[in-house]
Amino acid sequence: MNNYLEVKNLSKSFDNFCLRDITFTLPKGYIMGLIGPNGSGKTTTVKLILNMLKRTSGEVRILGLDNIAKEQEVKKCVGVVFDSNYFSDDWKVRQVEKSVSVFYENWNTQRFSELLDRFQISPAKKVKELSKGMQMKLMLACAFSYDAKLLILDEPTSGLDPVSRDELLHILAEYIEDGEHSVLFSTHITGDLERAADFITYIRYGELFFSGGKDEFVDGFRIVRGGREEFTEELREKMLGSRAFPTGFEALVKTEDLRQFAHLSVEPAAIDDIVVFTSRGGEQYA
Amino acid sequence: MRNIWKSVRLDFSLIKPYGKTICFTMVLPVVFAAVNRSLMTGISFAMCFIAMTTGYTFSIAEKNDMERLYGILPVRKGELVIGRYVFVMIMGLTALVCSLIIQPVMLAILGENVTTLEFLSALVAGIVLFALYTVFQLPGYYRFGSIRGRVFMYIPVAGFLGMLFLTARTPAKSGGLLTAVIHSPILLMVLAVVLVVVAYVISILVSVRIVQNKEM
Repeated sequence: MNNYLEVKNLSKSFDNFCLRDITFTLPKGYIMGLIGPNGSGKTTTVKLILNMLKRTSGEVRILGLDNIAKEQEVKKCVGVVFDSNYFSDDWKVRQVEKSVSVFYENWNTQRFSELLDRFQISPAKKVKELSKGMQMKLMLACAFSYDAKLLILDEPTSGLDPVSRDELLHILAEYIEDGEHSVLFSTHITGDLERAADFITYIRYGELFFSGGKDEFVDGFRIVRGGREEFTEELREKMLGSRAFPTGFEALVKTEDLRQFAHLSVEPAAIDDIVVFTSRGGEQYA
Repeated sequence: MRNIWKSVRLDFSLIKPYGKTICFTMVLPVVFAAVNRSLMTGISFAMCFIAMTTGYTFSIAEKNDMERLYGILPVRKGELVIGRYVFVMIMGLTALVCSLIIQPVMLAILGENVTTLEFLSALVAGIVLFALYTVFQLPGYYRFGSIRGRVFMYIPVAGFLGMLFLTARTPAKSGGLLTAVIHSPILLMVLAVVLVVVAYVISILVSVRIVQNKEM
């Protein structure tokens, strides 16, 4: 099986928010970044994948299995890291293992101990005594101890310092090295994805804006800069988003439209640029 | 079935740090039994107390946002619910057995002899009272959470006060309950067992339905 995660036309309606027709595929052995501004529907998508929310319509297959019909089998193969830990604060680290390991037949205690050593987490410490970064590593250690094939991370780096974020990216790179594991990494700190992600799925206002290769995503856009006099109405219509300064402007444009901006200074766009400019209003890209 | 036991173990590890507090609160009913010189009163008090502690698992889980852990574990929601009921029943039975050992000893030291009939009555009453308290409480916690559902925690208190009211109006050794036991203790026990089983089955079904419709 080549795809570890297949999401088709996934929709969910709340009173004040709708997630509409989200479709993407994560192949085996890759990292996909799930991006979008706050409130765009990333966590809703993750919760629907995990069947923690009831979908209005659509389909989710994890390792080829339906996430509802085969929920137990699916969850044995999925590891999850949220933005904060989901263990009891009063548990000691060794108690975390005792409580969680019973649910996984292939739990490897030796591997868990090795990971604790590697992450420098003392088994005698209480969860509440661990830093946020350590708590994130504890969740990872649990997921790796039952050899989760698919790792889902929901905003794992929010509130982490740059060193911990860098460590996480290293760990993820190692995790997918053998080509047998995949990662869905939801974040609004897109700088993390510049290095780690192979694929990008961008959700904006509950709708899919883009899903595909990271390079294709980044190459699809350019940042153009120019003086105020060049910021004409005609050009503005072709821009996906713009920001004006007293001395000039910068804007996000599609690479395919670049011919019309040839007289301006052109630079590659970072993922952050694309999210920031398109979140202020733009058009459907893919 | 194995998943239910795993859920019981998970609940046990949740409550473990609070074990000493729970044990300490179980001393109070012994004092109560001694003051009132009544095993029935002591057992009623003990079952009321232990029923009130069933909210601990919910408040600990809620405080630590553990719905997310429950959401990712490879078990059915129904199995988690049944696991919690089994855990609560184990807690209740443990408290009942301990109370039925300690309280008669305490009463004997004070010169009050507990007859076999009183002992059996207290046993049956303890089981029925605990079941009645918890079958209302647990769906309340599942539906409203540990804070808003706390109102259901007072059902045992109301039940206990009701018991006190009844026992105060009934002589300890010749009450209606004892009379009924004297007349047909087997029937009473069978009725109690049926009541408890039916009440738990309905309560579990209601809780499972609540949890299955709940979004995390």
